[in-house]
Amino acid sequence: MAENKKTYMVKANEFVFTFNQEEIDKADFIKKNPTEFNLIRNNRSVNAKLLESDITGKEVKIEVDGETFELLIKDELDQMLDRMGFSTVSSKHIKEIKAPMPGLVLEVAVKEGQEVEEGDKILILEAMKMENSIMIHTNARIKRIAVSAGQAVDKGQVLVELE
Amino acid sequence: MKKILVANRGEIALRIMRTIRKMGIKSVAVYSEADRHSPHVLFADEAVYLGAAPSSQSYLNGDKIIAFCKELGVDGIHPGYGFLSENAEFAQKVTDAGIEFIGPTPEAMRIMGSKLAAKESVKKYNIPMVPGIDRAIEDVNLAIEVADKIGYPVLIKASAGGGGKGMRIVEKADDMQEQMERAISEAKSSFGDGSVFLEKYVTSPRHIEVQVVADKYGNVIHGLERECSIQRRHQKVVEETPSAIVTPAMREKIGEAAVMVAKSCNYVSTGTVEFLVDDKLNFYFLEMNTRLQVEHPVSEMIIGLDLVEQQIRIARGEKLGITQDDIKPNGHAIELRVYAEDPLNNFLPSIGTLTKYEKPTGEGIRVDDGYEEGMTIPIYYDPMIAKLAVHGKTRTEAIQKMLQAIKEYKIEGVATTLPFGTFVFEHEAFFSGKFDTHFVKNYYTPEKIKEKQKANAEIAAMVAVKYWQERKKMLSPVEHKSTSWKRRLAH
Repeated sequence: MAENKKTYMVKANEFVFTFNQEEIDKADFIKKNPTEFNLIRNNRSVNAKLLESDITGKEVKIEVDGETFELLIKDELDQMLDRMGFSTVSSKHIKEIKAPMPGLVLEVAVKEGQEVEEGDKILILEAMKMENSIMIHTNARIKRIAVSAGQAVDKGQVLVELE
Repeated sequence: MKKILVANRGEIALRIMRTIRKMGIKSVAVYSEADRHSPHVLFADEAVYLGAAPSSQSYLNGDKIIAFCKELGVDGIHPGYGFLSENAEFAQKVTDAGIEFIGPTPEAMRIMGSKLAAKESVKKYNIPMVPGIDRAIEDVNLAIEVADKIGYPVLIKASAGGGGKGMRIVEKADDMQEQMERAISEAKSSFGDGSVFLEKYVTSPRHIEVQVVADKYGNVIHGLERECSIQRRHQKVVEETPSAIVTPAMREKIGEAAVMVAKSCNYVSTGTVEFLVDDKLNFYFLEMNTRLQVEHPVSEMIIGLDLVEQQIRIARGEKLGITQDDIKPNGHAIELRVYAEDPLNNFLPSIGTLTKYEKPTGEGIRVDDGYEEGMTIPIYYDPMIAKLAVHGKTRTEAIQKMLQAIKEYKIEGVATTLPFGTFVFEHEAFFSGKFDTHFVKNYYTPEKIKEKQKANAEIAAMVAVKYWQERKKMLSPVEHKSTSWKRRLAH
C-alpha cells in the first residue's frame, strides 16, 4: 500500500475519525512550542494544547477551544487487531441491567420470571430530586431482581439480571 | 447579632457565611452525612451534624436546627433558598424561640405562598394581573363568556396544579367544552381537586422579575429587574440584568409595581416579585418569592449592594441606608447556572466525581460554588454545581466575557450545562434580545452542541496524529542526535 494511502483511526472522546496520510500531510499545522499547536481547518484558526501523553504518543489528551479530548490513535496494525477482536463479541446479548447513575430505587416495576419487552419500564431511580425511568432495550425474561425499593445504588451496580 | 446559623448547604451557605464573616459575626454551619467535606462546613466557625443525607432527615429538620441554635447561643438563622426558606411554620417557630429569622415575617410568607391569597392581597394596589377569572368554574358557557372577553387563546389551569399538569390551551370557543372536561378530569385524577380557572394564555412570555429590599419601618426600594426567560424544564438557567427589552419608563413602572406588591404584605427583607411580560411589553404579576433568590449575584453586580448584608442589617433592626435614587444600574451582568446535567441527553442529571475542577478567574468574573476538585456530587440535592456570573460595561462585553469564562471553566467527571451556556450566548436570538421562555423549545437541539464538539474533536484528532508522527521521527535512531526528545517527554 502506498505510504500516502495509509489510514489512521483516531478516537476522540465519543467520536471516531479516519484520516489518510495525504490528509495529514496537507493539514496546515504549526507548532508554537512543544505543547502548543495551531491548525487552520476550513478557514478556522484553532489553537490546541497537549495536556498529557503516554510514552508512545498514541494516547494523548488535547485541549481545543476549552474542551478536553482524550485521544487514541490506531494505525493499520491496531485496526486489524481490533477487527479480529471485535468479531468474537458482536453477537453478545444483554445479561443484566446496570444503574446508569447513582441513585435511590423508588419502585421496582417488574417481578422475577416476568417476560418483558423492549421499552418496558424496569424500575424508577431517583437522583437529585428527579425520577428517572429505567427502561429495557431488548426482549427478555427477568431472572433475578438484585435491588429493592428504598435501596441506594451506585453507578454500574446490577439492578436486574436477565435471561 | 453575634452568631448566625445558616440553615442550608452548598454554594448558598458558603456565600452567606462569607458576608457573615465580613460583618464580624460568627457563623454556624449545618450538615448532613453527605456533606461533611463540603466547603461550607470547612469555612464555618462552628458546625453541627443534622442527620442522614436525605433532606427530610437533615436540612428540613427545623426542630433540630432550632434546638442547636439554643444550645449554641445562636441569635439569627439565615435560611438561604430552598429547604426551609419559605416555610412559614418554621419561621414562626424560630421567632417564637426568640431567634431572629433573617427573612420576611411568617405572615408575608403565608400570603405570598398561596396563589389566590397573593392575588387577593395585591388586588387593591392596581397591580396588573393576567386577565382571567380567578375562582373555580365548571360552567362551559361561563368559560366561553370569559374567554370572549379576554381573547383567545386562553389557558385552563387547575387551582391545585403545578408543574404544567392540569393545564390546557384553548384556541377557540368550539374546543372549550372538550378541553374543560379534560382539564377537570385531569385535575381530579392528579390533585384530587377538580376546580379549574381561566387565564389569558400569553403566547410569547418573558419572565422578568424585580428585586425588592424592605426594612422593618415600611421603607421599600427595588433593585431593578432580572431577565430570566432562558429556562429548561420551567427552571431558569440563564439570568441577566438589566433586561435587553426593558425601557427606562417600563423599568420605573414595573419597579413601582414590585414595591407595591411588597407593601401589600408588609414585606421585610429581600424578596423577588415575578412578572410575566408579553410581546407588547405588558407585564402581569405572577408571584412573589419570599427569600434570597438564587440569581441574586447579577443584581449585586450592577447595583453594588451585598444583599445578604442588607438582610442581616434589616433583621437586626437597621433602617435602609439607601433610597430608590441611589439605585442606578452600573453596566451589565449575566449569570449561567452550572448544573451537573447533560445538555446532550435531555438535561438529565449527570452524577459523579469532579475529577477536574478549575474555575475561571479575572476582573468581573464571580463564581459562587460549593465544590472542590475530587468531590462527588451527592444524589440527594439539587444538581447545581455553581453559578458563574460576569459583569461588563455593556451587554456585548458581558456576553463576550461569559463565553471566555465558560472556556476557562474546566469541569471533568460529570456533564454540565456549560456547553449549553455557550450555545445560548452565541445564539443570535440571545444576542439580539429577542427571545422568550420558549427559547430552548424553539432553538435548542443537542445536535448543535454535538456538531461543534465534533469539529473540535476532529481538530484534536488531527493534531494528535501530527504530534505522534513527529514524535516517532524524533525517536527514530536515524534522525535523532540530540536529547531534544527527552525534553519533550519531560513536559
